[in-house]
Amino acid sequence: MPRFSQIRCRVSRVRAAATWLARGRFWRRMTQIACLLLFLWLFRKTEYTGVTEIPGAANILFRIDPLVAVSVMAEAKQLIPMVLWSLLLVALTVVLGRFFCGWVCPLGTLLDGTRWFGAGHFHARRFTHRWQRAKYFLLGVIIISAVFGLPLAGWFDPFAILMRGLTYAVDPLWGHGVTAGFAWLYQRAPPAITNVSEPIYAFLKKTVLPFQDVTFRFTGPVVVALAILLAVFALEFVQRRFWCRYVCPLGGLLALLSRRSLVRRLPVKGCKDCGVCGEICRMDAFDVEGRLVPEACNLCMDCIDKCPHDRAKFIVRKTRTEPAPLDPSRRLFIGTVATGLALPAVAWALRINRHVHPRLIRPPGAGTESEFLDRCVRCGECMKVCPTNALQPALFEAGTEGMFSPRVVPRIGYCEYNCTLCGEICPTGAISRLPFAKKQWTVIGKAAFDKSRCLPYAKGKDCGVCEEHCPIPEKAIRFREAEAQNEQGEKVVVKQPYVERDLCIGCGTCENKCPLEGQAAVRVSRPEAVV
Amino acid sequence: MDRREFLKRVAAWSAGMTVVGPLFRVTQTAFAAAPPTSGIGSVPTLALASGADYEKLVTKVLGALGGMKKFVKAGAKVVVKPNIGWDRNPAQGANTHPQVVKALVKQALDAGASKVMVFDRTCNDSRRCYANSGIAEAVESIGDRRAACEFIDNRKFVPVKIEKGVLVAEWEFYKDALDVDCYINVPVAKHHGTSRLTLGMKNVMGVIGGNRGTIHQSIGQRLADLNTVIRPKLTVIDATRIMFRNGPAGGNLSDVKILDTIIASTDPVASDAYATTLFNLKPDDISSTRAAYQAGLGEMDLSKIRALRV
Repeated sequence: MPRFSQIRCRVSRVRAAATWLARGRFWRRMTQIACLLLFLWLFRKTEYTGVTEIPGAANILFRIDPLVAVSVMAEAKQLIPMVLWSLLLVALTVVLGRFFCGWVCPLGTLLDGTRWFGAGHFHARRFTHRWQRAKYFLLGVIIISAVFGLPLAGWFDPFAILMRGLTYAVDPLWGHGVTAGFAWLYQRAPPAITNVSEPIYAFLKKTVLPFQDVTFRFTGPVVVALAILLAVFALEFVQRRFWCRYVCPLGGLLALLSRRSLVRRLPVKGCKDCGVCGEICRMDAFDVEGRLVPEACNLCMDCIDKCPHDRAKFIVRKTRTEPAPLDPSRRLFIGTVATGLALPAVAWALRINRHVHPRLIRPPGAGTESEFLDRCVRCGECMKVCPTNALQPALFEAGTEGMFSPRVVPRIGYCEYNCTLCGEICPTGAISRLPFAKKQWTVIGKAAFDKSRCLPYAKGKDCGVCEEHCPIPEKAIRFREAEAQNEQGEKVVVKQPYVERDLCIGCGTCENKCPLEGQAAVRVSRPEAVV
Repeated sequence: MDRREFLKRVAAWSAGMTVVGPLFRVTQTAFAAAPPTSGIGSVPTLALASGADYEKLVTKVLGALGGMKKFVKAGAKVVVKPNIGWDRNPAQGANTHPQVVKALVKQALDAGASKVMVFDRTCNDSRRCYANSGIAEAVESIGDRRAACEFIDNRKFVPVKIEKGVLVAEWEFYKDALDVDCYINVPVAKHHGTSRLTLGMKNVMGVIGGNRGTIHQSIGQRLADLNTVIRPKLTVIDATRIMFRNGPAGGNLSDVKILDTIIASTDPVASDAYATTLFNLKPDDISSTRAAYQAGLGEMDLSKIRALRV
């Protein structure tokens, strides 16, 4: 027979659990975690698995991103149907406000997560609300620059920043690190340990590890991409959701859309006897008079659950209220337009007299260089999905504005003959989705031999690995028997490879497989750069 | 100090600093299989059969050689090593036919093998090759947990000193290919630009690590050197389809002839020598066959080989 106090204790525990479940914050957190896990799962799934089609991939994030949609369509000056999924997010935001920032955005969730690592302790300085308009400035500059031919969205889009950082740096490091650890055990530990560690490793390989070691060897873009991502996290130590409040241009766009949202908080103004909500707000969304500014609020529910008087709540209004004036100062407006015009002009000036880098080989289906750069949002998904690791981020080979755009680097990986994954995954169609037959005839470059290095030419030795691996059924690399001098100075007859130019598609398999150390003796360049 | 030297020193220092070295130092003597078992009597023997049912063909040729039980004892660890090198489908003839592989795996399981491993270090992306070749699916369809078609695990390449090597003194080999009771080599017969044909000897390329392209310089001798380490108890050459031009990758069906033939032998050189004739070439035309014969790995003189057509 339980004593009375025990029963009361149980009742109160049940009641506590009930109120906990009733809390908005609980559901917001659960949603955040679920969305983050979904994102990470999709990220892992953005990989070749043996079937040609990838059913679900992280590119969905970019297809619902209105910033990507607006800037890419402004850049390309045409309607791009695949990014119109973003209208869904636009519609939801108009009705509900910036719920996406508070409940869904994986970057936002990760930023909230930094509080576990002590990010909360340093929030000393408060920025005035004026700084929140910085994101509108950035948004304006991105869109105006896009209209005038300079793609900037990829530098500031939150998903692009996150995807790039994960793809280039975090995921390869994670893969290398875990594999190295288990490899060490496998090679050194006694069977008693490896009998346990190997099944764990096999399980991890099946679930959370990348299929193979992936490297992005061009340190420049990797360091820049990681630095940008880390900077976003570092700002979290200055202010909570610093990125979301002041910088994020997608947040800015959603903020503008949410100004007339139907969700409103009561009381409209902060109470005179209390100011807790304003103090705890992670978005600093309360103005000086204690009014909640809808375009700043991401509906995190903190102020509802933490209200000491249980007064605060969110309601859905049937009629739309007139929002507070946006108050774009003339200075901000002129500054935005001027910067948006100046940057493309500078980029254009830098482009004068520039030849396209001869080794800048774009993935198949990329179209002309300018068409490609117009549409590419630098999300790095093509690099994530490329089975041979061939796609690598450009640094300055495509100009400053082309940083992070994908290029085939054959010495690292070649373009797999039967593969069309990059075109399938590209969220904006910058790499168009080619049918197999067409992809297999899409010329991305042309191979040429360096006869001073190629063994049958330079040393009179047999080799021919390039010919062996050439995937063109009719062979774009062929042999002709010729006399050459070997290392002993004797005349010998060897098979010397040559490129059948009309058949070569520039896939780079030959360059990749050339057995020479260092630079290959057969190299692929842009078609126009090869005689 | 160049890069190689630097890496060597780093390796030496880290090796010194790790308390214990890798436990599986593989020496050739520890793993080298017995010398090629001579056929019936002491005459090198091979069996060949033709027909459209590949499973039956495998049964027939194995039967002629004494049955799978002769090679696979109960509880044995078996490797069935096909060619899965290319992202091509079975009709294109660039890889071993999946039904041939499946039949061999089944036979080994029926003979009581404790484990049958199927793998190859591919040329194209391994996931694509394993899927497109149909071999992964074929092995899986047997539905026996003892059999697995697994991807190459880079941790498992171990350096092996090749004592009999003429040009190759040391090379990395795949541990699972060395550490077995019965190694069954299942190459596909096809044209090759550098070595003219790729048969059993060339199939060893799929179990070695390192920069394989360098093997192509004097390919015949180097392949013979490598084959002194990997000694298959049984070689089954898949000539159900032979690619007679634009090999080894091919791609055009017009380069493939359907022969519906399988050759099996305990003598790895004899089977290569015989398969050469399918391409209207002489055993002597293939440098790896010649070099392997000279290394004493088997017989290449067709007049000294007993060919049993079953």
